[in-house]
Amino acid sequence: MSLGEMTAGEMTVGRVGAIDHEVTDVWQPKRRIKWGTIGRHVVLIALCLWVLLPLAWVLLLSVKSLPDGTQRYLWPHNFVDPIYAHYKFVIEKATAAVVSFKNSVLVTTLTVVASTITAVLAAYALVHLKTPFRAVVTALLVASLFFPTRVTALLGIYNIQDRLGLINVTWSLMLPYTALTVAISVFIMRGVFETVPKELLDSARVDGANSARILAGIMLPLVRNGIVVVIIVNFVAAWGEYLLALTLMNDAAKRTLPVFIANSSGGVGAFLWPRIAALYIIAILPALITFGIAQRWFMKGLQEGALKA
Amino acid sequence: MAQVAAPRNAIHGVLPAKTARSGRWNAALDLLRTYPYLLPAIIFFVGWQVIPIYDALRLSFTDDKFLDQAAPNWVGLQNYRDVLNDPLFWEGIKRALIFTGIFVPGMIFIPMFAAICLDRVASNKLSTVYRLILLVPSMIPAPLIFVLWLWMYNNYVGPINFFLVDVLGIFNLRTQPQWLADPRLTFLSIATMEWWWGLGYHTIFFLAGLATIPRDLLDAARVDGASEWRMFWGVTIWRLLPIILVLAVIRFGSAMAVIEEYIIMGGFDKTRSTYTWTVYLYDTAFGGGLQFRGYAAAIGWIGAFFMLIVVAIMFYLFRSRD
Repeated sequence: MSLGEMTAGEMTVGRVGAIDHEVTDVWQPKRRIKWGTIGRHVVLIALCLWVLLPLAWVLLLSVKSLPDGTQRYLWPHNFVDPIYAHYKFVIEKATAAVVSFKNSVLVTTLTVVASTITAVLAAYALVHLKTPFRAVVTALLVASLFFPTRVTALLGIYNIQDRLGLINVTWSLMLPYTALTVAISVFIMRGVFETVPKELLDSARVDGANSARILAGIMLPLVRNGIVVVIIVNFVAAWGEYLLALTLMNDAAKRTLPVFIANSSGGVGAFLWPRIAALYIIAILPALITFGIAQRWFMKGLQEGALKA
Repeated sequence: MAQVAAPRNAIHGVLPAKTARSGRWNAALDLLRTYPYLLPAIIFFVGWQVIPIYDALRLSFTDDKFLDQAAPNWVGLQNYRDVLNDPLFWEGIKRALIFTGIFVPGMIFIPMFAAICLDRVASNKLSTVYRLILLVPSMIPAPLIFVLWLWMYNNYVGPINFFLVDVLGIFNLRTQPQWLADPRLTFLSIATMEWWWGLGYHTIFFLAGLATIPRDLLDAARVDGASEWRMFWGVTIWRLLPIILVLAVIRFGSAMAVIEEYIIMGGFDKTRSTYTWTVYLYDTAFGGGLQFRGYAAAIGWIGAFFMLIVVAIMFYLFRSRD
């Protein structure tokens, strides 16, 4: 995928595209083959295949029979019978997997709720209220984006959790998780709050509403697409966090799903590959379903200024 | 900020001639009125970012060993001297830099290419479908991405080598590429995985940038007979440059601090190219032996310092060209 290829493709792509829109009817014969359009779609379809094929492969693995799961050939000689047997096995028999799944649900829910509330309140204060030291707060948050906190402060995070007696306490993972995404969440919300006209706020103030009522009554409906972006960003981050979960939870029963899957992907014992693949599909589904439902607002939220961060 | 101040004063009917005293009173009142909103953010930010960062700094001046149960001694800059003379640390920085050099260009130019193609798709529906498909990997949790690509690169069941060996017959079982074990391929393999992961997300960034280019600018150039090639280098690339530079800085930071990928895909083998300074830090602090956390903290701080210098240089270079 070299740069040369790209620009060569582009040269035809754009010209034909422009003609389509503007002057086709005037002088462009219809029978002309639109090589640019074709090339553009070929590229996009190739990229989509690159994205989808690995996932399709895992889906296929999750319905292979156990012997076929360790074989080289791509298409299995036998599918597992019934076709959902590995999923059933993981849910019914693999209690450790279920425990870690529940742990992940708990931690992710707490993180998403805490991050969303934190980001909405902070961004509202930074954009629409007369907050003293606004520039200082913003600068500190920006600076934290460029500091490798997760690596450098890992020891410190371990120490503070240790002192608070929170090592091996599953829910407590939400504390560092929320802290590590607080800057990016606030910036996403800040971008969205900035699109809300100040006049709206001012007229509400004239009517005597205080800042809390303005936020709840007027602002929240206006920034809901941004909230969706914050929820999704935090959901994906918390649902998939590995390093802190691995470091702060030593007890197998306290571990989250990503640590469990990463540790059990060796392909031994009860966790033969097709079963891990089933667990894998179960693990990625919540995020994909959430995204599928929320994608409309997510895209809008991104367009509304969440990307300015 | 000036925008906010003006209408607010007007609306609150604050007397135009304020005394110094009431000004101070108002400032204190503002503090009380607004900081409750910032309180959760401040608690999380201070409690689990500022304090841990400070704590790691404090540790780095001690000989703290986690498992020896002894109280740590203050050793001043000894850890820093030792780390700076530690060949393994510098090897780790070098390895991280090589990965960064492979990772960052792909993470910028592949999504840019995708965005330029996507931007011209006439059908809205089709464009949304492409976008959604490209975004699928960014919804998958990080460690699961790594597990997925461990399968992809696997020698026995991996589809990539199945394709190369059994379908195309370019290699045989003995000569098949060792995607993760061959030091020449490791970083390229991991970078490919990261590109796959970040493609959709970064494409959205570039689409937002392309949307800011005025259509009539390009149309006028087209009417003047400018080739698409010239328009790209004359207009598009300059409009996208701010995004490219921001992404370069951000992705430099994430690439240098990569750690989970290396732990899951390479383990703690000091001879492998995945044993970078971050893995060295983790291995020293949480791995075998006495867990020399003072030394690990010093590794973390020197690494962070090194990264911040490069980021500062990048900011300086990019700013001077504006």
